[in-house]
Amino acid sequence: MRRFYPLIVPLVVAACGGGGSSTNRRTLVDSRDNYDPRSLDPALSTDVPTGRAVGYLFDGLTRFTPDAGVVPGLATSWEVSPDGITYTFHLRRGVTFTDGTPFVARQVATSWQRVLDPKVRGGRGWPLYPILGAKEFADGKATTIPGLATPNDSTVVVTLKEPFAIFPKLLAMPVASIAPEKVPASFGERPVGTGPWKLVEWKHDDYLLFVPNKGYWGGAPKADSLKARIISEPSTAVAEFQSGNVDVLQVPQGEIRDWEEDTERRKLLASTPALELVYVAINTTRGPLADVRVRQAINHSLDRRTIVRNLIAGRGELAAGVIPSQLPGSDKTRIGYQFDTLRAKQLLREAGYPNGIDVELWTSTTPIFVRIAETLQGYLALSGIRAKIVQRESAAAREAARKGQTDLFVKDWYADYPDAENFLYPLLHSANKGVGGNVSFFQNARFDSLVTASRREQDEAKRIALYTEADELAFREAPMVFLYFYNELYAIQPWVKGFVPPVIFNGQPWTAVSIAREAPSKQ
Amino acid sequence: MTAFIVRRLLLSIPTLLGVLVVAFLLLYVAPGDPVQAMVGERADEQTIARLRQELRLDDPLPVQFGHYLAGIAKGDLGRSYITNRPIRKDILERFPKTLQLAGAAMLLATICGVTLGVLSGRKPGSTIDRFGLGLAYLGISFPVYWVGLLLILLFAVTLHWLPPSGFGGARYLVLPAIALGMRSIAFLARMTRSAMLDSLGADYVRTARAKGLGERLVVGRHALRNALIPIITVLGLDFGAYLTGSILTETIFSWPGLGRYVVNAIARRDLPAIQGSVLFLSAVFVLVNLITDVAYAKADPRVTYA
Repeated sequence: MRRFYPLIVPLVVAACGGGGSSTNRRTLVDSRDNYDPRSLDPALSTDVPTGRAVGYLFDGLTRFTPDAGVVPGLATSWEVSPDGITYTFHLRRGVTFTDGTPFVARQVATSWQRVLDPKVRGGRGWPLYPILGAKEFADGKATTIPGLATPNDSTVVVTLKEPFAIFPKLLAMPVASIAPEKVPASFGERPVGTGPWKLVEWKHDDYLLFVPNKGYWGGAPKADSLKARIISEPSTAVAEFQSGNVDVLQVPQGEIRDWEEDTERRKLLASTPALELVYVAINTTRGPLADVRVRQAINHSLDRRTIVRNLIAGRGELAAGVIPSQLPGSDKTRIGYQFDTLRAKQLLREAGYPNGIDVELWTSTTPIFVRIAETLQGYLALSGIRAKIVQRESAAAREAARKGQTDLFVKDWYADYPDAENFLYPLLHSANKGVGGNVSFFQNARFDSLVTASRREQDEAKRIALYTEADELAFREAPMVFLYFYNELYAIQPWVKGFVPPVIFNGQPWTAVSIAREAPSKQ
Repeated sequence: MTAFIVRRLLLSIPTLLGVLVVAFLLLYVAPGDPVQAMVGERADEQTIARLRQELRLDDPLPVQFGHYLAGIAKGDLGRSYITNRPIRKDILERFPKTLQLAGAAMLLATICGVTLGVLSGRKPGSTIDRFGLGLAYLGISFPVYWVGLLLILLFAVTLHWLPPSGFGGARYLVLPAIALGMRSIAFLARMTRSAMLDSLGADYVRTARAKGLGERLVVGRHALRNALIPIITVLGLDFGAYLTGSILTETIFSWPGLGRYVVNAIARRDLPAIQGSVLFLSAVFVLVNLITDVAYAKADPRVTYA
């Protein structure tokens, strides 16, 4: 998951006024989308604004809660066979789509087929690949998916290729949402789902307007309507918030300190872990970086505490491994690499580089990554590592990293679903080198077998122990610079009731959110 | 005149074709693969290969270009790789909004710029002339995004007179039009001033004054009319640029126009959307230039296009 092109370095907005403490609006207004959704078809849900809107309009068999739990959605319960291969989902009865069509098991099968169908051009089949035959179908080698069966209207039986214990968590991702069986060509513009909201209108690059689905099985949303505005420039979103026109704001990273130091605005802040790892991928196949001592030296070169304090006003938790502390498997007792230039130099000497090394440090144009790269360059120089910064536009930088052309690459990773596997497997398993997410090109047989075993392990305690072990190994092998887990900072208007900042990006469906009717007195 | 217009329109075809070839080549040389942008952060090689095949990205370049040209010949700009929507529809939905913004900015620029220029030109060295000069310096040297953000802070956040951003009625148009038009106001004011100075010193103005014509008529009918050519040139060039290049203004003010569409398309490497927009905008630019040339003839009878 990725946000792109904050075109302009956010101007520090002077502290002035604000819109008072009440509003006459009846519509909830969100300001978080910074570009137009790709489509409202769940099968095309590959970016943040699309995923968020699809989450309002559709349901999956499971769904996320704001605190990153996974709870039953269109499936009320499920059983797993003892070998971990067969999942029997019991579907919620009496659910209808907003056009009146009843929800039945067949639609689960057709929805997932559409996601995998190359003709639909979705591009994100991987959450469904664990299903037997799904990959073959997506690659055009088969015309049916043998792992999908619907014995009756309220049961879906899924056979997996191999045991994958966290499979139900992946079904809460927007791409796995359930759509009607017959989908017209204009579905991406005029979606019909079973979700808590209905689309009223979509003005491209302007806003999306939703009204409650009165018949929603989980209870209709409390507010009159919900407007998701599309605001590309972070400073503009801040101005809209200060004018009282939007209810929820993601505080731009460059402005955190201004908000925290303003006694009035500080009251509106709410922070939440975002399951976002900010790190520097070290390509473990390139020159001196193949030596673990060099990679450890790079990790020892940085004063991460100062970096977090100065660049993001302390809104991050130092990383010692890839698993965020909110997820089981994270070892909170592990101590991260300490800032120790002498140790770094010693490690470089031991590796045979007494005169230091030269590396290219790649970054996209995202302001925070550029600042990190510049800071890193300074710290690395202290240990004798001469880093040349290479800055490219996001798509170009990512492609270079995927092709293995970067030495070091500053980037981040957001969880798609709340599980340690979503960090360990894509970022560091050798099956995912390059486009799969492993741009460190890390390959370690022991790590691979630990992660593979954890994916198959049905016993939760054992699975978590495997996660911890794999994370420990990755930490020692240092295929990346472990920087920090970002804590997202929200500003919420005083009249908004019930908005819990979501830990996972589409975990807040706004159903319990409302605008306080009685206007609080102005101070 | 008609023959001139027809000839110019025909001549624009090779121009547009050239634009297409250059845009096409640039996009394929530039790093960044639309399929990689499409699949997001996590994918697999087979999916990428399948999608490239679906989108015919692996065909040889001339074949791809031929395919694209064939579509255009039928009036079809194709569908977006990313959103699957027809590009013609996307452009037609956004262009009126860009036109509205550009029109408002030009109107503002013409009224303010020409007025300021005439007033400055009539009394060089006066207070109003010095004021005009100061404003021109500001307008030309301040970057548009900076002006835009300051306008938002002052008129929206602090004074609450106008909405900070978005699309709607006239109230939403004021700030972006000022931000976009600033530079033109400055240019036009300077251009008008010097053209006015030239023509006010000309013999026909002295003659007009000598025959006892009122000052208003001297300035309005004789001096300004003769100063119009450079003014029209600036207007034409700026209007063309605004229709095609209000990317920053649209971004800052969340204006749902073509500029933001193009930026988004570029970030996602949505090749058909970029090409379609480039072609459309080039056509608009050519058309605006043609209108400018026609306006020369209307403004100055000495200009003829035989």
